[in-house]
Amino acid sequence: MSKKKVKKLINGKGIRYDGRKLNELRPIKLEVGVLDNADGSAYIEQGKNKILAAVYGPKEVHPKHLAMPDRSLLRCRYHMAPFSVEERKSPAPSRREKELSKVIREAFEPSVFTEYYPRTSIDIVIEVLQADGGTRCAGITAASLALADAGIPMRDLVSACAAGKVEGHLVLDVADLEDKQGEADVPVAYMPNLNAITLLQMDGMLTSEEFEQAINLAVEGCKQIYQLQKEALKAKYVEVKEAKKEDAEQ
Amino acid sequence: MSSSKQKSGQFVVPGDRLGVIEEFVPGPGTYEENGTIYSFATGRALVDMLSKQVSVFPKTRFLPVPKVGSIVTGQVREVQSKTANLRIFQVDKHPISGSFTGVLHVSDVSFHYVEIMHDACKPGDIVRAKVVSDKNRTFHLSIKEPDLGALHAFCSRCGNVLTSRGAQMRCLKCGKIERRKVAQDYGKGGIV
Ligand SMILES: [Zn+2]
Repeated sequence: MSKKKVKKLINGKGIRYDGRKLNELRPIKLEVGVLDNADGSAYIEQGKNKILAAVYGPKEVHPKHLAMPDRSLLRCRYHMAPFSVEERKSPAPSRREKELSKVIREAFEPSVFTEYYPRTSIDIVIEVLQADGGTRCAGITAASLALADAGIPMRDLVSACAAGKVEGHLVLDVADLEDKQGEADVPVAYMPNLNAITLLQMDGMLTSEEFEQAINLAVEGCKQIYQLQKEALKAKYVEVKEAKKEDAEQ
Repeated sequence: MSSSKQKSGQFVVPGDRLGVIEEFVPGPGTYEENGTIYSFATGRALVDMLSKQVSVFPKTRFLPVPKVGSIVTGQVREVQSKTANLRIFQVDKHPISGSFTGVLHVSDVSFHYVEIMHDACKPGDIVRAKVVSDKNRTFHLSIKEPDLGALHAFCSRCGNVLTSRGAQMRCLKCGKIERRKVAQDYGKGGIV
């Protein structure tokens, strides 16, 4: 990957190329229950990312020998649509997609009560329609809502966000251009009520102090995203007149 | 949010704190960890002031899975002389995700002796059954009880819905006589 600087991404006032402050998220839009043919679903736009998440289950396991006697088999398929990136991508799952499918599944394992549904599977499908950096985190944020929409019991919602280092600055919610030209990227998935990190990766170079700062910055981003997730669930499941009454009471 | 401020009827999502065990008893839709009670569902928190039970009534769909003791509804697929396969599509009156496979053995058809499965059910029948075991990763079903058995059965010659007079089934269209183990409410409408 080329780290050659093509243009300056952060100006002297600490404003990023897309107008954001260093600790500012991209605009996020969330919607719950967007697909009729899945048991649960959600859609996220985060910057130029456009991602759909669907959940199926708890359902019968195919092939049958994968079924586990004491819990549900949690599976994830992360897939990028051929038109999601600038150069048309092969529709066959790449090594990167397989790797991301695995880390996303692991990000949900501490949250989902798989022990409630022995011998079944719970399948998460994440389809990236348009990619602009941070798709694993945005995919996790959407999949968490899809799981809640399917009524799958969870210890907590999972919120995800990356922090990174770009031109010497620590920044929140790394966009694709920043990822390509930046020094480091730290994706974090987080259960806000239990204060537990369920995914932590690092790509690039950071001092241990910077790494810690990046985690804290990413967690702050997760907490903001969590509020948006709650609002999205409320928008789907609380009727307008109920919501007004609730707001008035608060 | 502190536990005492959590109002009954409030909208909660998985992970929301509902209280502590010194204060409340964890009910349906909740779980307890290190003395704190949390919601595991998306819905409305409800506190029973008498029993001090806090529970969450889900607003989302709830998709059950078959368990031992569940009453399930399914469609008969293949029938062999001693066994039948069912495609279960409903558990305790709830729709489920996709379908589960259940197996009915001829010894679980009736309190009376039944020689071959073809006298109890045929492919296409809609049957209410009880899950009696889940050994070897298989849901074993029983239709022995009076309220279990065929809810809808179809003539194997012309496909018309059969009319029941006990175990004797008659096709009013072509006159064919067949046998089934029927539920006592056979043909009385719904399949639930
Ligand atoms: Zn007939």
